[in-house]
Amino acid sequence: MRIACPHCGPRDVQEFSYLGDAKPQRPDGMDATEAAMADYVHQRDNPAGSHRELWYHGAGCHAWLVVTRDTRTHAIAAVETMAQARAGAPA
Amino acid sequence: MGEIGTTWTARGAWSGIVAPGVFSASGAGVNVQLREGLGIASLIASREQEPMLGRALESRLGLSLPTGPSAVSSASHTLVWAGAGQWLLVAASRAGVAEDCAGLAGLAAVALQSDGRAVLTLSGTMARKTLAKGCMVDLHPRAFPVGMTALTSIAYIGVQLWRSEDGPDGAVYQIMVPRSMAGSFWSWLCASGMEFGLVVATGQD
Repeated sequence: MRIACPHCGPRDVQEFSYLGDAKPQRPDGMDATEAAMADYVHQRDNPAGSHRELWYHGAGCHAWLVVTRDTRTHAIAAVETMAQARAGAPA
Repeated sequence: MGEIGTTWTARGAWSGIVAPGVFSASGAGVNVQLREGLGIASLIASREQEPMLGRALESRLGLSLPTGPSAVSSASHTLVWAGAGQWLLVAASRAGVAEDCAGLAGLAAVALQSDGRAVLTLSGTMARKTLAKGCMVDLHPRAFPVGMTALTSIAYIGVQLWRSEDGPDGAVYQIMVPRSMAGSFWSWLCASGMEFGLVVATGQD
């Protein structure tokens, strides 16, 4: 599998580390209910299909990327930098 | 209480690892030049600082800050892109680099790396073939033109690689590794280049 880093160009997946789903947003600390926090920490969707996920280009430019990948085929539809992902529609 | 020894002496990043010589059964396809005495600094700027840093470097060194994976050079300095908002300033003289950076206060997080990195120049007809044994980046002249840089890994070692010029034997690459990995990197380079013939020299161009 190759990931086209927006900064570096296409690179082998071994240059990257996988973090997981890009969707969960940390609830606001002290105001968050226990249930909301438990959801944030433990609950993950496991879709067969398109998935937006975080990858870290650790052996390259050290950027966090949001990769849209099909979990069935590993086909990558989009790779965004964090800045681009934040500027776009929220996940 | 015994006295703590104070016989520290400065030594180059490659000293004790590789010395000038020929490493080959036959041939001389790869030239390695161990670069000593370079002044190196890393610059990290926020998005707000970046335009100001660019203007400061432009007026001090006459080099414009690369915004993508490329390296720009003057006679005495090279500015290498090292990730978004990050650059390496490489000066021919180690003595002057602190002075070069003095005017950058407030424009970037500056850290001197002269003792932290090991640099070598790789050239020769078989330089690209040697790199191909460990580098996953396409170094074909069309894909990796003069002035392009890549942050990647070779033999699990993080390297900053740039094609600085074209010499009589083709592309000339500059390779920078963390100093603590210099021994491991040489071990890979020597094993990979041996079949083509490695000629190691030291010093400046």
